Amino acid sequence: MELLTALAVGALFGIAIFQILRRNVIRSVIGLILLGNAINLFLLSAGVYNGTVAAYTTLAGPYSDALPQALVLTAIVISMGALALTLALLIIVSARYKTSDLDDITGLRY
Amino acid sequence: MLWPVLLPLGGAAGTLLLMKHPRLQRAVALLALLTALAASARLLAEVWRSGQPVVYQLGGWAAPFGITLMGDLLAVTFALMAQTVLLLGLVYALGCRDKVTGYPTFYPLFLTLTTGLSGAFLTGDLFNLFVFAELLVFSGTILTAVSDDPGGVEAALKYFFISLLASACLLLANGLLYATYGTLNMADLAVRIAADGTPPLLPLAIALLLATFMIKSAVFPFHFWQPDFHAVSTTAVSAMLSSVVVKLGVYGFLRMTTLLFVAQAPTIRALLVVAGMAGVIYGGLGATGSQHAKRMLAYSTLAQVGFILAAIGWGTPLALAAAVIFAVNHSLVKAAMLMLAGVMASRAPVKSASFAVLQGVGKKLPAGGALFLLGGLSLAGIPPTNGFISKLAVFSSGIAAGQWAALALLGLGSVLTLIYTIRAFMRIWWQPAEDNQAAAPAKAAKPGDRLLAPTLLLLIALGLGLWPAPLVHLATATAEALGDPALYINAVFGR
Repeated sequence: MELLTALAVGALFGIAIFQILRRNVIRSVIGLILLGNAINLFLLSAGVYNGTVAAYTTLAGPYSDALPQALVLTAIVISMGALALTLALLIIVSARYKTSDLDDITGLRY
Repeated sequence: MLWPVLLPLGGAAGTLLLMKHPRLQRAVALLALLTALAASARLLAEVWRSGQPVVYQLGGWAAPFGITLMGDLLAVTFALMAQTVLLLGLVYALGCRDKVTGYPTFYPLFLTLTTGLSGAFLTGDLFNLFVFAELLVFSGTILTAVSDDPGGVEAALKYFFISLLASACLLLANGLLYATYGTLNMADLAVRIAADGTPPLLPLAIALLLATFMIKSAVFPFHFWQPDFHAVSTTAVSAMLSSVVVKLGVYGFLRMTTLLFVAQAPTIRALLVVAGMAGVIYGGLGATGSQHAKRMLAYSTLAQVGFILAAIGWGTPLALAAAVIFAVNHSLVKAAMLMLAGVMASRAPVKSASFAVLQGVGKKLPAGGALFLLGGLSLAGIPPTNGFISKLAVFSSGIAAGQWAALALLGLGSVLTLIYTIRAFMRIWWQPAEDNQAAAPAKAAKPGDRLLAPTLLLLIALGLGLWPAPLVHLATATAEALGDPALYINAVFGR
């Protein structure tokens, strides 16, 4: 499980950064989403070093730390808002410039 | 303790409910900011009198477990500075002709911007800092995106993208620190990092935090979004973004080098001095070469933040005090200068702040010219303005630290400041208007933005220049408190 999580986090980070660096704005935004998910998964894994049993469900067992789960919840909500706002901005920008290529969005180059 | 954060937030909710009643909404917004400012001032008086930081444990949870709100001298000084400028920004928004300020959601967003900034200064928890910083970024982005300038959306997209990357860095640093030390309370982290600075994830966390605050403050290698973003947002907002919002990163650097990573501070400081120097020269040259008044002032922020970073990088108590003085003075003056640029743009035949349009517009408004000249002299550091006091503090701390090469570069930066501010003054108020403007229809007769807010800001600035003792005492005491992290830590744990 540990190895699987580590590999998943690593793969997500790799894909996210590759996508962020693409010229297509939509791909960069997808990269941003993946980056958020990679970080959330990493945060979640930061809490399980004591065990994987959810806190307060049973009395037995080494509990997993509940705080990172709370952090992840907050981060997910924030990233959802961020995504909605990014896409809204993206719609306006791509409609105005008729392109999704970052190199063609040059209204402020002066 | 809670009020400086709670009042703007409550005001935001209240103004949101009052969207149908514009006049009432404005009154509520003004009231919320005024009371928040009064609460901050009271907090500062309390901290100053007792010499002890004020701590509030949210929900009554004891220190390392709950979220701590922490008002030490640095945090409260910055919060007071931010709310003073934000209040006058709101005053400007009330008296300006931009269409944006008529939108029903403008005032709620302005108040959430205030909440985010005050909260980020006053929190003692790293994850809470992330949440408040996000609130700040969201509000700033939307306020810019709806700007009258058609470039607003594009600038907002760029800024939002880069800010989300900064937030990702901050969140990742949170995760790394939590995985290593099992806490996110800044005081608790400081104790644990001081006890054991060897974990392999620590340098990575420091690097990510540095990158976060560098993006927030638009420090040299991460500055590319800033001139675009600050130049196109509506004046009332850009004056806030370019003066107090960039101070969040400055605050972060102060906290990093004096509280969280004291043992690793020499490396961080060396990096900050280099980044600051690069910013001073690059920002100065960019401002000199710029053909747009607001863009020029945005580049100038890059240079002025460089001065502050250099002072933080020297790290002596004198230099830290200089950094605080410089930060406060720069906030007041830069906000006033941007407002004056906005006032002139609103009176120009075409609404734009580019020098080609503004040339000669100022002839009808000599009072604005006098204020702009005063602000320009203050930015460049000529007595009797407060800019002189801050430059004097920075240079004397540099001489005491023996940083001659850096001082030479800072001197060059100051000369550049004088060149570009005086050139802007000459073009707007001195040179005759060009002919094409005379041919334009007589739209210039319409009333423009009011001069009240920049006048008040510059009066405060001039007051701090003529009577600098209170600010200097405050900054010296702040630097002294920063030199002893135990004071902060003991206050949080109630020892």
